[in-house]
Amino acid sequence: METFWEAFKRHGVSRRDFIKFATTLTGFMGLAPSMVPTVIRAMETKPRVPVIWIHGLECTCCSESFIRSATPLVSDVVLSMISLEYDDTLSAAAGDAVEEHRRRIIKEYWGNYILAVEGNPPLGEEGMFCVVNGKPFLEHLKESAEGAKAVIAWGSCASWGCVQAARPNPTTAVSIDKVIKDKPVVKVPGCPPIAEVMTGVIMYMVLFGKIPPLDSQGRPKMFYGNRIHDTCYRRAFFNAGQFVERFDDEGAKKGWCLYKVGCRGPTTYNQCGSMRWYNGLSYPIQAGHGCIGCSEKDFWDNGPFYERLTHIPVPRQEADADKVGAVAAAAAVGGAVVHGILSKIRNSKKREEV
Amino acid sequence: MRIYVFSPGLRIWHWVNFLTILVLFGTGLYIGNPFFSGPPGIEATHAYGEGLTMGFIRKIHFLAGYILLASFIFRVIIGIFSKRDRMVLPRFWTRDYWSSLKEITLKYLLLKKDSDGREYIRNACARTAYPLIYLAILFMIVTGFGMYGLSNPGGFWSSLLGWVVWALGGEFQTHMWHRWVAWLIIVAAILHVYFVIREEIIRRNGEISSMINGYKYFEKEPADIGDLK
Repeated sequence: METFWEAFKRHGVSRRDFIKFATTLTGFMGLAPSMVPTVIRAMETKPRVPVIWIHGLECTCCSESFIRSATPLVSDVVLSMISLEYDDTLSAAAGDAVEEHRRRIIKEYWGNYILAVEGNPPLGEEGMFCVVNGKPFLEHLKESAEGAKAVIAWGSCASWGCVQAARPNPTTAVSIDKVIKDKPVVKVPGCPPIAEVMTGVIMYMVLFGKIPPLDSQGRPKMFYGNRIHDTCYRRAFFNAGQFVERFDDEGAKKGWCLYKVGCRGPTTYNQCGSMRWYNGLSYPIQAGHGCIGCSEKDFWDNGPFYERLTHIPVPRQEADADKVGAVAAAAAVGGAVVHGILSKIRNSKKREEV
Repeated sequence: MRIYVFSPGLRIWHWVNFLTILVLFGTGLYIGNPFFSGPPGIEATHAYGEGLTMGFIRKIHFLAGYILLASFIFRVIIGIFSKRDRMVLPRFWTRDYWSSLKEITLKYLLLKKDSDGREYIRNACARTAYPLIYLAILFMIVTGFGMYGLSNPGGFWSSLLGWVVWALGGEFQTHMWHRWVAWLIIVAAILHVYFVIREEIIRRNGEISSMINGYKYFEKEPADIGDLK
């Protein structure tokens, strides 16, 4: 296969624009400026990598996000930088023709292609809750993963399970690393992940021929190293104790911190605060809505989204930790007083004389 | 009979612990649910260091957290080196522990008089409850510093305790656990204070002053006197 530089030349891109592009890319991958020559060298010498992109139990929001990538433009990625050989959502071909092509690519590039998985396999009913090409997605996934060099888990579905794995998880949907155990899996969580994060991860793997450095949870460190809270532009209001109490109050108009209306920024690891969405246009908190923690494990089960503390299941009551705690503390004080009085009576001298 | 129960180190530790837990609980309640606003009419960037702001309250919380950690380590060290300070540990393997537990349960259920049966410097109920409270405090330290450290991933605290956060099911769940156990400690503290007052009133043994001067008074020789000598 041709190298990136060759593909760029074929598309009539000038050397100057090529170097500009490589510099931008270096920044987006979270690398130091001193790495620019390395990236250029890699783009001149590394052949394009075939990618097989499969879809399981999911909503395609990851693909929707990916095609809105601005830096690098997704068209650049798809058309010139990777060789996207199979994607049942984006490809023009369908049915047996495209499935045959997938099998051919797996055989031809055995051990060299990247498998990108969007969505996850449901294990219940022998995988029949999600069927691709007449077979359970579970088999489709295992077959495609067998010859892959590395696997990318797109989005919270593939990384953690997401909404379909929320309690009570009727289809027994699981993250893909529960099924694929013998390959390196890069988790790129988010519902969906930020487009530039997706292209950044794929570019890193293509250019350096290895998976990016991962944290203990299997996420690329350069994109999931910080809490949204710690990079949020509204953080000053948090530190100053200026909070939105209701979505229609004065604080909301002034753009204060959304902590009290349930923002999950303090417990969520993502790039929303620094990279933002749609080429840096905005992100949920900037739009005035708290973060729901979509890139965190089991975020659907950590509701309600508009309150700081989860509800504790108390019959016929809405209660959180503070309510239950205060009631328990009051009960302890009351119990102590009653027990104290009874103890005093029981141990009094009068009764001893009787 | 006057018996020297609490070493000076333990007494100092007790009151440091009391103060830090009080401060940690108060500030923690605010951090999880900020029930009053910071100074109004000030631009947020400059409000950071002014008055009772979230930033200031969090700073106090972290400072108290470090003191709690240091005092916990101190408590473990004096427990290792001095027999007197190891009296909180239960002795499940002895018959005496179980008979004492039965006896004290009957007393607390008011089925038996407190003056009946044997006397203990520290009864089996206390020996069961205290280790659990120590564990709860350790849990708070571990989860607290785990969350604290993750604002600097790869730093000292996150590499030491970051795993705790993931073991509890993510950072949000860790926040919730931290809060539930905080309330648990407060409930335990209320009961602790109650039983101290109860002991003082019923037996008049200097229970309350013992944590200041170190001495308790007994009518007969306590059954667990061997733990002191």
